[in-house]
Amino acid sequence: MNEILDCSSAEFVPHDLTCDFLVIGSGCGGGTAARVLAEAGKDVILLEEGGDFVGPQRLTQRDTPMYDQLYTERGGRTTKDRTVNILSGRVLGGGGVINACDVVPVHDATWDYWQKHHGWSDFSHTAMQPYLQRALADLSANRIEERQINRNNQILRQGTQALGWRGEVMLHNRVNCQGLGSCFIGCPAGAKQNPRTVAIPKALAAGARVMVRARALQIRDATTDRKRVEVQTMDAKGYHPTNRFAIDANVVIVAANPVGTVALLHNSHIGNDLLGKHVSVQPQIPVVALMSESVNAFDGIPQAYAVTEFERHDPDLGLTGFRVESIFGTPGVLGSLVSQPGSAGKALMAQLDHCAAALVLVPDQPVGQIEVRRDGRPLVDYTLAPEWKTRARQAVKAAARAYFAAGAKMVIVPAAPPVLVHSEAELSRIDAMTFDPATISLISAHQQGGARLGTDRARSVCDLTGQVWGTRSVFVMDGSVFPSTSSSHTMTPIITMAHALADRLVQRAIPTN
Amino acid sequence: MNAVTRRRFLVLSGGAAALSLGAVGGLGWLRGTAPEVVGLKVLSAQQYRTMAAIARTHIPRGGAFPPGAEDFDLARMFDGYLADQPTADQREAGLAINLVEFGPVLFDHRAVTFSNLSADEQLTHWSAWGTAQMQTRREIFWSFSRFLGLTFYDQEAVWPHLAYAGPSFARLANRTTEHP
Repeated sequence: MNEILDCSSAEFVPHDLTCDFLVIGSGCGGGTAARVLAEAGKDVILLEEGGDFVGPQRLTQRDTPMYDQLYTERGGRTTKDRTVNILSGRVLGGGGVINACDVVPVHDATWDYWQKHHGWSDFSHTAMQPYLQRALADLSANRIEERQINRNNQILRQGTQALGWRGEVMLHNRVNCQGLGSCFIGCPAGAKQNPRTVAIPKALAAGARVMVRARALQIRDATTDRKRVEVQTMDAKGYHPTNRFAIDANVVIVAANPVGTVALLHNSHIGNDLLGKHVSVQPQIPVVALMSESVNAFDGIPQAYAVTEFERHDPDLGLTGFRVESIFGTPGVLGSLVSQPGSAGKALMAQLDHCAAALVLVPDQPVGQIEVRRDGRPLVDYTLAPEWKTRARQAVKAAARAYFAAGAKMVIVPAAPPVLVHSEAELSRIDAMTFDPATISLISAHQQGGARLGTDRARSVCDLTGQVWGTRSVFVMDGSVFPSTSSSHTMTPIITMAHALADRLVQRAIPTN
Repeated sequence: MNAVTRRRFLVLSGGAAALSLGAVGGLGWLRGTAPEVVGLKVLSAQQYRTMAAIARTHIPRGGAFPPGAEDFDLARMFDGYLADQPTADQREAGLAINLVEFGPVLFDHRAVTFSNLSADEQLTHWSAWGTAQMQTRREIFWSFSRFLGLTFYDQEAVWPHLAYAGPSFARLANRTTEHP
């Protein structure tokens, strides 16, 4: 079995390499693709810009160092107008290392929508079933057990049931979960069945070479059989470049999260005018409920229960409506959402023990775009659509109603100024939320699009095999390929899609060394 | 449009330059000098002073619990954070800090800078950045607010006041009892 090669280590001597398949990005897309290819006997190198973080020594459950090390741009990436915090993994295993373990497959209606509106003829929900099953097996998907549902989640469920709404205990990909509560900054107990713990070890066992702290800078010769990828090695913390080397490959698979994927293709002068367009960030709104009781939401699974009553599948819009899911985190990230300066903010934080919290997930249409600055760094330009704002207000109201039904004393939306609602009679205060830029701190954990797949090169960046139009064997296999939001949570959709696309690639005749 | 003679252009340019220099000099005088701070990597002593004032205002000592931002020198942490950021981000952060420092002059039309306001005035002024008409001010508010909240509430000395028992691995891993 190969070992993970850390390019920041003193032992690593940069030298040019060759392989048949180079996979850039080790998350749900790249990790899965590397594993499928390696297990098919292919010669694979997998590159990851971030480091390798496993176990309690490396995953310390401390906010500042973990957001710094596990997230892109040290957790500080936002949309251009600073309204939406764009969260994605920059670590071996990618987003799977830092997510809340929610297993929510692509709904059949979404596959149908993509078939009808985006020409995804090869991807009927029936045809995708085997790949979904593989994804669920990779994730060891299982229903969260009743004993694992903490008080924070019980409160949301209690309110939902009191109102007679539909909701569900979620599927997750934890095995032997210890209830540590720090899922967003990695699981030191190793309970998450994510690419780092499943696909990448399997890829290594099958002979893949895996390199961390290695950033792909540019893909050259994309129209020829042999491509050259310029790689920059990074220092131990991933802050500064150290050296460069090159990898020659017959096939290059880009899976660096939509933002990273678009930037790399753009910097490589690959892709048509639609590259970076049609981006969905699925903005999420935090809602906090102050309860009379001690909630102690720090411990236990943060996200176990979802209100699904209002989720909709529109044949002409795809996934719409909204859902509400319980959430919590570690103190630092919770503190970063507090919008009240001075003693008021501290007073709220001092009551955290009595707080329940949820994220309101409002699927968006792909109205954003990813730009690339002069220095090569990406920037997400995203404006909240009026229709989204209307649904967002409805969603926040629904969350507030559920909390009041469960006995909340007050519901707080951390905007500036904060929206404070003391009873159902005051729900109209939520209507005053403008969602104007930088009036509220929203969260995006599910960026999608920017290199969408399609049959028509005038409407897509990649063909239905994931190959970028106009290239020879440069593929995209991550959330960039979705033409619209795939699901309320993207881990399972991306793994499913990567299985399907990598499988096709295995069967395709590609010249090898 | 009126024709601008060379002489008039020079007079206007000279006047504008003099006004600008005067304004810059005046602003500099209003800002005053800041005590020297050893070991800063990116921020100037004056920017450090402003950042410390923002931090102190955003998360003051006292109130619901004793510790405040100044107990952990969050301004220096910000300087350390910036040191490993791209140059463009360092420059942008420096400009943002300067804008806050001169905020009372620019937006409240007062002859005093942020660092020289009283604590109450600082809170009133800083709170107004979060709800300002000008989007740039709100963006700066959220950027600093996110950083300060993350770093302050990640301090061990703060956790007891939040009823947070600290990283759970040592407490909870391999326990025999059930969740939660």
